This record gives sequence, structure tokens and C-alpha cells, in this order.
Amino acid sequence: MSKIVIIEDDAQSARLAARVLKKAGHEVILAEDGEIGLRVVFEHKPDLVLIDLGLPDIDGQTVIGLIRENDDAKHSLIVAFTAYPEDTAAEMAKAYGCDGVITKPIDTHKFADQVAGFFRRD
Amino acid sequence: MTNPFFIAASADKYSIARLADIYNESRVDYIVPMPMNAKRLHDYVAQYDVDLSASVVAVNQDQQVAGIGMLGVRGTRAWITRLGVIPTRRGRGVGQFIMDSLLTNAVSRGCQSVLLEVIEGNEPAYGLFSKLSFETTRRLLVIRRAPNPLPAETLRVEPLNIDQITLFLSRRPPVASWLNETPSILAGGSTVEGLCVSLDSGEMGWIVYRSTPFQLSHFILGSVTDDLSDECARALLRVVHTRHPRRDTKVENLPDDSPLWAAYQALGYGIEFTRIEMIKPL
Repeated sequence: MSKIVIIEDDAQSARLAARVLKKAGHEVILAEDGEIGLRVVFEHKPDLVLIDLGLPDIDGQTVIGLIRENDDAKHSLIVAFTAYPEDTAAEMAKAYGCDGVITKPIDTHKFADQVAGFFRRD
Repeated sequence: MTNPFFIAASADKYSIARLADIYNESRVDYIVPMPMNAKRLHDYVAQYDVDLSASVVAVNQDQQVAGIGMLGVRGTRAWITRLGVIPTRRGRGVGQFIMDSLLTNAVSRGCQSVLLEVIEGNEPAYGLFSKLSFETTRRLLVIRRAPNPLPAETLRVEPLNIDQITLFLSRRPPVASWLNETPSILAGGSTVEGLCVSLDSGEMGWIVYRSTPFQLSHFILGSVTDDLSDECARALLRVVHTRHPRRDTKVENLPDDSPLWAAYQALGYGIEFTRIEMIKPL
């Protein structure tokens, strides 16, 4: 079982992702904006962070940069979780040191495997 | 504005928190997600001279909110922003109703032109604006640079005080986008910083930007001595990123034909998305 933090302001999208990941056996913590997300990530040091790039308080890219700068949290896998066009999302994710991208809306049949794939790669 | 189906309620009748909720709801499936919390919207309204009494919330006959649009006003110029229609209420002319209401409000405030920006690829919005006789003026890039420390610089660098910053900004030709006009920059208050760099060649350049705890933004570059060379532009950007090595950077609305784009690219910037700027004389 892995610990996953989902930083996502769209409550419906966050709940759906959390439900699928919990069913797959993961511990999931939700954070509704960047500031809360940073606090949760620094406190819980999760195995993986799923982060929306469009957050209401701080840009997701900025949050990713701050996580990568934190000695305790920088080893977490970070996956951009976004509705951005796929090419843009991939470029942004690469530039900001993400481990990958999952585009929204999620496919509930594939989502848990997509996330598991990042752990296998690691 | 009269319409058999909708009423244009003045946005100043709503709290900022409620306006942020309406805006977010209208943009939930937007081509580039840009949600805002109340604080971010509050700052946005203040920094970009958004007039909430001229901005509208479209409400249907059942008192359900259908969409939102905001109007910035500077002298005789207006700017339409934060326009959105709630997904379940689209396809009933709400977007055009909001636009008509905003244009009416701009005219009533003595405005002679209206600017707006639309994200490239948002064909429904672009089509609506074209139908309303908005004309494309240029493409604007929104670019970013991830934190990435650079080697220390040995250039001669002087900080600019607020009077010098104001003077340099005022000398620019009037081509900045609304977000980068002098009032937009100076509204950043204590987050506004400026530096002057001298090259061995004798060229002197300046850069003004906003520096918040998390992000650098609103970069404006210029030359003290002549046209800004690519070498000087790169030096200015290097100096800023050397001083703020851990800061994420977002620069909005750089014209896509700007000679500065090469310098930004050399420093590791990439395009996040592109806007199309449009204007309509009133």
C-alpha cells in the first residue's frame, strides 16, 4: 500500500480519483489547493503526489517546484493530473521535474494501473 | 441589457468569494484551467482595474446563475476578462448576452475601445468575439521557466528605486498588453523590483518584475542607452534568475513576434499557452 496525496480543487474529480485509488489499496489524502497541498505533502511525505496544474491559489507548477526544493519531500513521485492539452501537459511536466502525466478526465478502469505504473518505473 | 431569458446583475452585488465560485464553475472544463480563490480574484480585480459595478453576472428567470463577465476600465479604454458560461447553461445565448451587457457598460462609461484576449484554440469564444466585430491584433505567449539555478554573474548591477522604475516604465511605447501596462505592474506594490545592468560594451539595460514568495512574474525589459540587444536581454534575465534561483517564473502576454523571445528561450523558458488579443472600437 502506498501513500498518495491528491492536490486537486475540483472536488468531484478528486473524490473520483480517491475512490479508485483507495479501492486499489492505497492510502489517499486530499488537498483542495496548493497551500494545503504543500502542508500535507511536507507533513506526510507521500510516496506519490498527484497534482492538478490549475489550482486556485498557487499555480500547480509552482507547487511542484516547491516540493522538489524540500529535502524531506523531494523524493516523492510527482504526477501532473491535468486537463491541459496532452502535449502542453507533457512539456510542463518534464520542465518541472514531474515523473509523468495523467490527463483528466480519468478512465476509472485504467487509472489505478496508470498510477501503479509510476511505482513500477521507480 | 434586456433579454427575455436573462438578467445582467451587477457583479458588485456579489461577494468576491461568490464571484470566484461562479467564475470557477464557468471554467471547470476550460481549455486551460485557471481557477481562482477569493484572494487571487480580489488581487486580480485591484491590479487590473476591474470595475465590478460594470461587470456582470447573468442570472436566468429562476434566479440561477448562468455566467459571468468582468470589465476593466482605464480612461477611455475597456478590457473584457474572466468571461465564462456555466457548462449546463451553455448554448442559450448566455455568452453573447454577457458580452452585449459588458459592451453597453463600456459605452456608458465613455470608453472608446474594448480589448480582450482569448486562448488560442477556444473556437466558440473566438467565433463569438469575431461575430461581435472584434478584430485580432496579435498573438501573445504565456511562458514559464521552472526553478533552475544559474552560475553567479559578474555583471555590474544596480537596484532601481520606485521612481526609477516608474520612469522607465513610462518611457515604453504604448504597446503593452493590459496585464503589462504600467498601472498593472505598479499595482504590485512592494512586490515590484527593478534592476539596471551595465555591459562591458557600455550598453545599459533595465528589468522590472514582480517578486512574490512563490513566483516571479510581469517581466518588463528595456534599454537605457539604445535598442535592447539580445545580449543585454539575456544578461538581464540571467541576473534576475541568479538572484532568485529557486523561484518559479511566469511571464504573460509576450507578443509572439517579440525580439525578446529568443533571450527567454535561451534562459529555458517554454510556452504554456497562447492568447489571441482582439480589439473593438466603440
